[in-house]
Amino acid sequence: MEKYFQKELLEELHELRETYGYIPEEDIVRIAQRRNIPKAHLYGVISFYSMFHLKPTGKYIIKVCDSVSCRIAESESVIDAIIKFTKVTPGNTSEDKKFTLEVAECLGHCGEGPVMTINGEFYTYLTPQKVVNILKTLD
Amino acid sequence: MKIKINGREYTYEDNITIFEAARRSHIKIPTLCYNQKLQPYGSCRICSVEVKDRRTLMPACVTKIEDNMEIFTHSQKVRRVRKMIMELIIASHGITCNLNCLNCSRATSCEIRNVAAEIGIDKLRIHPMEEQIKPIDESSFSIVREPQKCIVCNRCVRKCSEVQGVDILTIANKGPETHVTTFLDKGMGNVDCTNCGQCILECPTGALHEVYHIDQVWKAIEDEEKYVVVQTAPAVRVAIGEEFGANAGEIETGQMVAGLRLLGFDKVFDTNFSADLTILEEGTEFIGRVKNNGVLPLFTSCSPGWIKFLEHNYPEFIPNLSTCKSPQQMFGAIVKSYYAEKNNIDPKNIVVVSVMPCVAKKFERSRPEMKGDVDYVLTTRELGKMFKQAGINLREVPPEMYDDPLGESSGAAVIFGATGGVMEAALRTAYEVLTGHNLEKLDFHEVRGIIGVKEAEITIGNKEIKVAVVNGLGNAKKVLEMIKKKEKEYHFIEFMACPGGCIGGGGQPIPTNEDTVIERMTSIYDIDMMSKYRKSHENPSVKLLYKEFLGEPNSEKAHHLLHTTYTARK
Amino acid sequence: MEKIFLKNDLGLDKYPFKGLRNALKGSPEDVVQKIKESGLRGRGGAGFPAGIKWEYANSIDNEIKFVICNADEGEPGTFKDRFLMENLPEKVIEGIIICAYAVKSNYGYIYIRGEYEKAIKIIKNKIKDLYKSNVLGRNILGTEFNFDLKVIRGAGAYVCGDETSLINSIEGERGRSRIKPPLPIEKGLYGYPTIVNNVETLSAAAEIMKYDDNPYLKMGTEKSRGTKLVSISGDVNQPGVYEVELGKITIKNIIEDLAGGVSNGELGFVIPGGVATEALGPDEIDVPYTYENLMELNSGIGSGGMIVVSNKRNYFEIIKNVSNFFKNETCGTCFPCREANRNINALLNHNKLMSDLTSEQIEIITEIKETIGYASRCGFGQASVNFILSVLEKFNDGRVNS
Repeated sequence: MEKYFQKELLEELHELRETYGYIPEEDIVRIAQRRNIPKAHLYGVISFYSMFHLKPTGKYIIKVCDSVSCRIAESESVIDAIIKFTKVTPGNTSEDKKFTLEVAECLGHCGEGPVMTINGEFYTYLTPQKVVNILKTLD
Repeated sequence: MKIKINGREYTYEDNITIFEAARRSHIKIPTLCYNQKLQPYGSCRICSVEVKDRRTLMPACVTKIEDNMEIFTHSQKVRRVRKMIMELIIASHGITCNLNCLNCSRATSCEIRNVAAEIGIDKLRIHPMEEQIKPIDESSFSIVREPQKCIVCNRCVRKCSEVQGVDILTIANKGPETHVTTFLDKGMGNVDCTNCGQCILECPTGALHEVYHIDQVWKAIEDEEKYVVVQTAPAVRVAIGEEFGANAGEIETGQMVAGLRLLGFDKVFDTNFSADLTILEEGTEFIGRVKNNGVLPLFTSCSPGWIKFLEHNYPEFIPNLSTCKSPQQMFGAIVKSYYAEKNNIDPKNIVVVSVMPCVAKKFERSRPEMKGDVDYVLTTRELGKMFKQAGINLREVPPEMYDDPLGESSGAAVIFGATGGVMEAALRTAYEVLTGHNLEKLDFHEVRGIIGVKEAEITIGNKEIKVAVVNGLGNAKKVLEMIKKKEKEYHFIEFMACPGGCIGGGGQPIPTNEDTVIERMTSIYDIDMMSKYRKSHENPSVKLLYKEFLGEPNSEKAHHLLHTTYTARK
Repeated sequence: MEKIFLKNDLGLDKYPFKGLRNALKGSPEDVVQKIKESGLRGRGGAGFPAGIKWEYANSIDNEIKFVICNADEGEPGTFKDRFLMENLPEKVIEGIIICAYAVKSNYGYIYIRGEYEKAIKIIKNKIKDLYKSNVLGRNILGTEFNFDLKVIRGAGAYVCGDETSLINSIEGERGRSRIKPPLPIEKGLYGYPTIVNNVETLSAAAEIMKYDDNPYLKMGTEKSRGTKLVSISGDVNQPGVYEVELGKITIKNIIEDLAGGVSNGELGFVIPGGVATEALGPDEIDVPYTYENLMELNSGIGSGGMIVVSNKRNYFEIIKNVSNFFKNETCGTCFPCREANRNINALLNHNKLMSDLTSEQIEIITEIKETIGYASRCGFGQASVNFILSVLEKFNDGRVNS
């Protein structure tokens, strides 16, 4: 029951994600020690969740939805435009560490698609042109 | 509870699972992810059975029986579902396309093949997946992981965690990327793996196997310049027959010796010889610590999996470890010094090969402190393969004797292979050295048996010696924690990494389970009973070794050759 | 026409918590009884009668019980829970507290998917406020009832919407499902009795408790009482969240009257309740929107996330997209689900056109669906081939662009 009054593992990992953009190895080792979990097991847990990255991410993490409703709204052309502009393919980070691109599953804004988030902030009703304009404003 | 299985009535008292109820009714339900000794994981779903009035099929390994339950273990629905699951596994496992059963380490003992045969696969309708080639993990000295063959049944993870308490394996990611791996995919050689190899024994496929030394050994044998010497561990002789379909004890040790000679080794020696040697060194060390208030309890040091486990997790106990090398390593050191000198052979031309029930020995020989005294290590399984490659049928070969002088041994040496054996051998010698009397009753039954932790108080003269015998790293952890908390006090503890001791080692024939371990154990104690000498200090060749070369146990020369140091590992 | 019931209190300046106050006036068993009588069914996807769940939870004798609000809305096409959390946060929280009171629990979680940053912020702030105004914490609204509520964020795993996976996730494990029995109500979070309910279910319970009578008895049908929030998107002119009275409107009406009709040609098919439900064709949608009617059509209300697909779309691409979704989101634990979704995906991707699929291949997919339905560990696996096969069976009309 004390577990209810302590910080949950998920929350601790979210805080690290918000600070560093990913979950650094030293922190995984530290958490494993403090919570008395084997390192390998903790790695198994963290790697399960798409929002947690284990390698450093770019300054801007772009997640584009490609689920059914957004696909119907032509998310593919938006994704292509992003790839062309950032020169990054989904699942990777750009050389200059500016962008990390991911294709995400339904982000819950169906009907406003295509939809993407940049560092968690939502952008809706995207077109290839609009998305490039948005990316251009990021420094 | 009254239940019906396939229309027949059965009554069972306890609240057992359907799987267990079927087993007691002599019905074998197929499975890939279930092992009685491990927590049920419920992932393969092959054990699914039909239960009346249930919408879905029920997994037999986790579903408990209820009163009046009607179970159908092989109805048409069940057979269809099992076949489809198998076909899906086969398609993903790439058996027909990328992989070929014939060149797999488990070609003759693969559980996918066995279960497919049990289920009765008669067609493969699903096109095999064209997978990306997954990199093989060859970072370890002892164990190789081939992720492409892995079916993610989670048995190795559970064995490593629940039984061994080492916890270096996990399942990572989800979706199609779900895979078994180590911390941050670093590789088994780069994490706290102890090399015990219990995972190899647990794996149903060829995804885990030992690092092979077979080709190097052939090369050495065929090299005319090299003088190739082989030593055999106690636990190998009672198990090698299983590679030829024989029961435990059916194949005589002498037949294995004959086979080795036929393979082309220049000398066939016995690790048992150096086991006797180890007893003299370690027994003297123990007596010394007791008399001079040295660090106690003394921990045995012949299990390299145990040593690495302690170095990683309990380095504060390093002073407790005996400084003695293991029999394998003592043997190599003696061959390349005493034997080489006596027979005028340049040690540089000597190749020492050991046959071990163990995969951690492959790591042990590579430790810098061991100075390359042992060149190659073959597991019992590898030896079986070599015999087959040479067309030698161990069941038919007439028995021969080991070579002298490093082939002579006592019964105390052979019992090293079973958990409690080192302790018993040590006690037989310690008793006579300490009391000066002859030991009448040689069998210390208190330290025998496969239970994880055994304790005993042995009266030697006017002293009560408190001993413990531990097998399996999970049990080692428990005992170390108790000692840390000062809950227990002992003088001498035997630790073995593998459940059952070396006869249950990671290099032994598959299957290695409680039944085969007990059979091998019985054979070992039979050999002891029939030995000419039953105490290590009676071994004439060992006595000669001291007289001609080492002086006395723990002498400076003995220390230099036969003792070692340890490293705290982060 | 929309039937406004849940959406009643939208835009209120000060939220009166009438439902909670009414609940606290009676006993926990009174609340259970009312919810049971209302016939409210779980609105997350399973459609299990909430009152029966609450009754069972209430009857379990244990000092420590947990109430969890499942806000891990990940079903493609579904965004009604986000709507509720962003626009009616008090009602959501009120529903949680009412449930806790009814089942005699003092500790609760709301598990919100990590991507819903706005909803998380709103709910977190609202919880802070409600602690200050004595609606949460000790002696709620001056009664003897105590209840603590925490927010926990999901981290990108659709399977965590399944109740046992969700519980594992809160405990800091991989989000794989648990073997039942035991049910979460018997042994759930940290080993304690736990009841898991969807955001909309709890909000509806809060709304029902506002009234002295039982409003659900006057709405809906015998088996499908009350109203449902439908999130509709895809090829429609006015996508959004609409509240409908169950049984009093047809799927056709929802599409044409509420959502402004099909926007791109004619209707091809509609996925009524998220990608775990079977697709329905133009000749099947003139039926009342109820649990029983959709079940008769071998489909389901599911989460209420309706996706409309016009006949101009490439159906095969849509199937591949959905197959991709299931392939990526399976927790990967059990062989049937993991291997089936992977192999079906490979099989589909091997073909360029739907018409390239042979009848043997469709037969294999059918048999895989049967296997996965009988042998998967959890509902995710069991439903993963439903949509795909329904399209292959019903809409494989050899059209050139499919």
